[in-house]
Amino acid sequence: MIFKIAWRNIWRSKLRSFTVMGSVIIGVWSLSFMLAFFAGFIEAYVSSAIENDLSHIQLHHPDFKKDKEVQYRLKDIEAIEKQVTSLDAVKAYTVRSLNNGMLATATGSRGVQIRGVLPEKEAAITNLDQKITTGVYFDATQKRNPILVSKRLAEKLNLSLKSKVVLTFQQANGALTSAAFKIIGLYQTGNAIFENLNVYIRQEDLSRLMGETAMIHELALLLNKKDAIEATQHYLSQHNDSTQVLVENYQQISPDVNLYESQMSVATYIMIVIIMLALIFGIINTMLMAVLERTRELGMLMAVGMNRSKVFLMIILETILLGVIAAPIGLVLGFLTNAYFGSYGIDLSSYSEGMEKFGLSDVVYTHMQTADYLLIMIAVAITAILGALYPAFKAIRLKPVEAIRKI
Amino acid sequence: MKEVIKVQAIKKTYNAESIPVHALRGVDLSIQQGEFTALVGPSGSGKTTLLNIIGGLDAATEGSVLIDQQNISQLTDSQLIDFRKEHIGFVFQAYNLIPVLTAKENVEFVMLLQGKSQAERDARVKDLLGAVGLSEQIDRRPNQLSGGQQQRVAVARALASKPKFVLADEPTANLDSKSTADLLDIMAKLNREENITFLFSTHDQRVIDRAQRIVTLEDGAIISDEQNAIGS
Ligand SMILES: Nc1ncnc2c1ncn2[C@@H]1O[C@H](COP(=O)(O)OP(=O)(O)OP(=O)(O)O)[C@@H](O)[C@H]1O
Ligand SMILES: [Mg+2]
Repeated sequence: MIFKIAWRNIWRSKLRSFTVMGSVIIGVWSLSFMLAFFAGFIEAYVSSAIENDLSHIQLHHPDFKKDKEVQYRLKDIEAIEKQVTSLDAVKAYTVRSLNNGMLATATGSRGVQIRGVLPEKEAAITNLDQKITTGVYFDATQKRNPILVSKRLAEKLNLSLKSKVVLTFQQANGALTSAAFKIIGLYQTGNAIFENLNVYIRQEDLSRLMGETAMIHELALLLNKKDAIEATQHYLSQHNDSTQVLVENYQQISPDVNLYESQMSVATYIMIVIIMLALIFGIINTMLMAVLERTRELGMLMAVGMNRSKVFLMIILETILLGVIAAPIGLVLGFLTNAYFGSYGIDLSSYSEGMEKFGLSDVVYTHMQTADYLLIMIAVAITAILGALYPAFKAIRLKPVEAIRKI
Repeated sequence: MKEVIKVQAIKKTYNAESIPVHALRGVDLSIQQGEFTALVGPSGSGKTTLLNIIGGLDAATEGSVLIDQQNISQLTDSQLIDFRKEHIGFVFQAYNLIPVLTAKENVEFVMLLQGKSQAERDARVKDLLGAVGLSEQIDRRPNQLSGGQQQRVAVARALASKPKFVLADEPTANLDSKSTADLLDIMAKLNREENITFLFSTHDQRVIDRAQRIVTLEDGAIISDEQNAIGS
């Protein structure tokens, strides 16, 4: 009977009930969209970081991270490559020679990280060949010393295709050397920090100029599945001398990716709390109105013997029922919205000037885990109950005699 | 005869701290099982206050109320709610019914609170709504009933719990004379045939005339208490 009364009561003031349901629907909808958007955002960021720069796992000499000195190289690179090629989980790998140097033009110079790459293998790992916006990627027809710089850096230094630049860097024996390179292509990854710093040359050119056959500082590998990272990392750590080889996953290589992920989830929780608070106040407000409007009726109910816990339950139930009707509608809307933007994506290119600086791509695909829908349901249930508590307490604190006096 | 209500030296003072209003200044009253009593007196004389105290809706400042020998002045708030549910029937001037429930459900409601079985509820609802002449209207909601019909449902509701007596504070105040007469007919019939005890307050001379006993309050004290020979 209490259920029946509560159910019918919510249809008494339709406008009020629709207001509560509307806010629950909008709350749930926006929550599911926001969670999915943030998840998609993080995913886009992380996968672009993996694809452009980090790969899943990288191997370095343990000291290389601190001092990017050329001497900190991977000594027994053949053995490591053998291990890597033996693993099924590995999709592709490449090795790089890295050297910090100076890039000089007619007008000025700036510090860069020179990446000596194996063109084909590099393309398999970072798709660098597809990121050439002007000019061409490395190929067999090129003669000596081709170089790829980012479009961004080219604009900054007033460079264009076929411009000559001079790279100055340390040789294996510690002496400095300089050589002229010709720009054959401009690349673009979308990550401003990365683009400003990195230039690509062929590994053979770098090795020749450094006076060594190959000085490998970095081995980067991509796996078939992200899930395999831990096991692969463990395997490679176990099979190499830890004083010579440090095996790191992308989160360890780039702590900012990690930080970013955790900051995003903090932001998500803040959003949830803000929306919940707004909902709570909306619910308190309307349910309080519902209680005050029914003062006499509630007084009468208590006068004829409805005890306080039943009155309390009735008010809570009314609120919960509103939530139970509205929340699934909001969830369905959220689900549909997320499904739509999950396949078509949200184009942020009008904001992407700012986004790119953080290494983000233009299109975010919303992505939502089932667990998140559950989280929303729980959040809304808690919200509805919290919002109903105060009005319900108000209701049971009514003194029947005073409520009835008003008759 | 059995004494169902015994009011002893009741005093009620509102706003004791600021400007005290002495609503009741020492009232003694005894109501026997089966009596049909009107509580009369000018506005502000304390009728509502007295009925509320007898019904356990309000607490007296001094004195005690015994219902069937039980002193209800000592019960806690929630014990009082239960006590009212089991032993007292109420008819108020208005807003007696739950607007979202039908006549039948309104009458059933108290029995549900009491935990009565479905069969018992159904039978009693039928009897009671029949007794108040509303067999045809059992599935109507209060807003589909006239004021007089609503008050009759309220009487049926008040009786549903099989209370020791029914308290009615100006039950006819909002009714026209025809509905007033009908309601009084029903109450008098229930009193006569089922030996239901009624204690009701009123201003209406036609209602007063129907009472068997007339208790008159003035300024918080009983100034007369007499049997009414012409009462129904
Ligand atoms: N909650 C209250 N606070 C203060 N004074 C009150 C309160 N309730 C009633 N009174 C006062 O107590 C006195 C008795 O009031 P009561 O309502 O019992 O009179 P009544 O006989 O029922 O009047 P009426 O015929 O107008 O219904 C009045 O002076 C009234 O103003
Ligand atoms: Mg009164």
